[in-house]
Amino acid sequence: MSDKDCIIKVEDMTKSYGDNVVLEHINTEVHKGDIIAIIGPSGCGKSTFIRTLNMLEIPDSGAVYIDDVNLMDKKVDVNKMRQKVGMVFQHFNLFPNLTIRENITLAPVKTKLMSREEADEAAKKLLDRVGMSDKADAYPDTLSGGQKQRIAIIRALAMNPEVLLFDEPTSALDPEMVGEVLELMKKLACDGMTMVVVTHEMGFAKEVANRVMFLDEKGIKEEGSPEEIFGSPKSPRLQSFLARVNS
Amino acid sequence: MKKLKILCLFAFVLCLTGCGGQMEPSDISSIDDLEGKKIGVQLNTTGDIYVSDYEGDEAGTVIERYNKGNDAISSLKNGKIDCVVIDEEPAKAFIKRNSDLSILEEEFTIEEYAICVAKENTQLCDDINKALGELKEDGTLQKIIDHYINGDDSFRYESPEGISYENGTLVMATNAAFPPYEFYENNEITGIDADMATAVADKLNMKLEIEDMEFDSIINAVQSGKADIGVAGMTVTEDRLKNINFTDTYTTAKQVIVIRNGEYNPLLSIKDSFYQNFIEDNRYAYILKGLRNTLVIALLAVLLGVAIGFVISIIRATHDKTGKLKILNFLSRVYLTIIRGTPTMIQLLIIYYVIFASANVSKILVAVLAFGINSGAYVAEILRGGIMSLDIGQFEGARSLGLTHGQTMRYVILPQTIKNTLPALANEFIVLIKETAISGYIGLQDLTMAGNIIRGNTYQAFFPLITVACIYLVIVLILTAGVNKLERSLKKNER
Repeated sequence: MSDKDCIIKVEDMTKSYGDNVVLEHINTEVHKGDIIAIIGPSGCGKSTFIRTLNMLEIPDSGAVYIDDVNLMDKKVDVNKMRQKVGMVFQHFNLFPNLTIRENITLAPVKTKLMSREEADEAAKKLLDRVGMSDKADAYPDTLSGGQKQRIAIIRALAMNPEVLLFDEPTSALDPEMVGEVLELMKKLACDGMTMVVVTHEMGFAKEVANRVMFLDEKGIKEEGSPEEIFGSPKSPRLQSFLARVNS
Repeated sequence: MKKLKILCLFAFVLCLTGCGGQMEPSDISSIDDLEGKKIGVQLNTTGDIYVSDYEGDEAGTVIERYNKGNDAISSLKNGKIDCVVIDEEPAKAFIKRNSDLSILEEEFTIEEYAICVAKENTQLCDDINKALGELKEDGTLQKIIDHYINGDDSFRYESPEGISYENGTLVMATNAAFPPYEFYENNEITGIDADMATAVADKLNMKLEIEDMEFDSIINAVQSGKADIGVAGMTVTEDRLKNINFTDTYTTAKQVIVIRNGEYNPLLSIKDSFYQNFIEDNRYAYILKGLRNTLVIALLAVLLGVAIGFVISIIRATHDKTGKLKILNFLSRVYLTIIRGTPTMIQLLIIYYVIFASANVSKILVAVLAFGINSGAYVAEILRGGIMSLDIGQFEGARSLGLTHGQTMRYVILPQTIKNTLPALANEFIVLIKETAISGYIGLQDLTMAGNIIRGNTYQAFFPLITVACIYLVIVLILTAGVNKLERSLKKNER
């Protein structure tokens, strides 16, 4: 690979569960500064795809490169590579046994990325950034859904990742809380964070993404700028999908 | 409120025992009347062997076998059986304290007592025979017997002054609920057998150590090398000779028939009963020692069980989640299957008599190992259930941040698992504490055995059993209170 801006590269990747093939011959790249929105009907493999990017799902064949390192290589320390790829989940996955501050500092300290003092300092800055400094010593169960997801995002940011993966980050939220999470994601995008976002929020895809991928039937069926995808969809499947979500 | 409930229960049981009253006399006046009756014996004694001939006859004779002679006597007093066939001297000791019992004049059989020694240990057998010969010749043996049977207080066997135990120790297995041959007095085992064995050991320049255990364990203990000799008023029988050697006999005894005579046995006042059970002969000391042993065993076994449980549950959960550790997972499953599929008591006996057969290990250690290993299996499955029931998102959240599987377990999964499984774990600990009550089977003087020793001395069931029950109850209540407090403090991070 020659392109030094390329953070993630997926080569001919296939993933199946038993006899059920979910993804087939996927090829794509994520470059520095990219904001990629992945859309598609439910069950099309969007979540599986994004989870293969940090090996939460192990592909059957093909390759996933992070910074030119193939994660499928048995000799590669996947834990080390995962530090470069932050992930935000639909259900937040905060640790209820730890305070907000401990949620944020656990990984940086235990992976020896930072000292305890550095991590506490970083957590303070991140909490300031989302206006939740007063919650540092609270436990996750005392927060609203929107607050939880914002904490989950800065928990991922605390590891200083090169790219953030979002797996339907607003799908589990009450409607009035979707806004605050999207707001934070937009802010990150403006700051130049590289992001891959599986989403049902077409507005966010149109407004923030520089590239939109349409996933359907085991593969990437159409890919392009938001204008191309939403303005002039080529394939009938994308057209009917957009018609359904816009109705 | 809780105290009141316990008090009510106590009063209720007291009422029940107060209703004892007078029992009908046994309808037995000679051996010929035994047919068709309910006969009590001590398990595996010669009495048991002889009366077994009656079992299943046309008259419908029933044999009830008890672990201890005094349990048989208690059943006789309560009318559960019609008579007890037992050695003469213990029988005399029993009726001395129970005016409602008598011994039939016609004896059941006459038999000879001898010391049992492992078959391969012929040298020891010869040495003991030589020593016994000398003791018979110089009259020491007869004096020992006279002291206990005829109450001759002018003689009491003492080891010669300045004796050196250059040949080590001689371990004697016995069942110290068989007066006057072996019984507890002032927290020590004494009696004809104990003194005779001391005299023999002194002749061999060995120091005698006495191990108290169930009567039917004695031959096993001698065979396995846990004890060098078995001395427990044991009669030479053909069946026993198949497994073990006997020395020359040291005394003859009769098997007699004990019956109810229909006389009134005045009930002791609560004060007298309390005095006999706890104050006389410092009997409370049995309870204190037993309590200490029970607490030590329970505490260490809980710690061992938790340690084993954590290791096994992590192996099993790691295998379930990642498919790794196949061999360890297989071994863990074998362990779980065996431990959960066999009774704890059998495991305890196997560890003591099979695994540590020839090793001289502390019984406390054996009990801790047995109960700890047993509890570990249950703790492991409780914890594994807790781990598997956690949302998979907890694993993924932690792994996505770059934490290893081990770090994820330690900082994220296990803290939540412990909190969620605390009620089930507490339940397991309560079961474990009560399970230690079977420690008596390897002759370990735990709380339950302490109650049994007192019961064997006083022939009263009420105070020893109720006291022991209450102490267990208090231990469990304290544990429950502690766990509740812990649970509340762990709940602080919830809404």
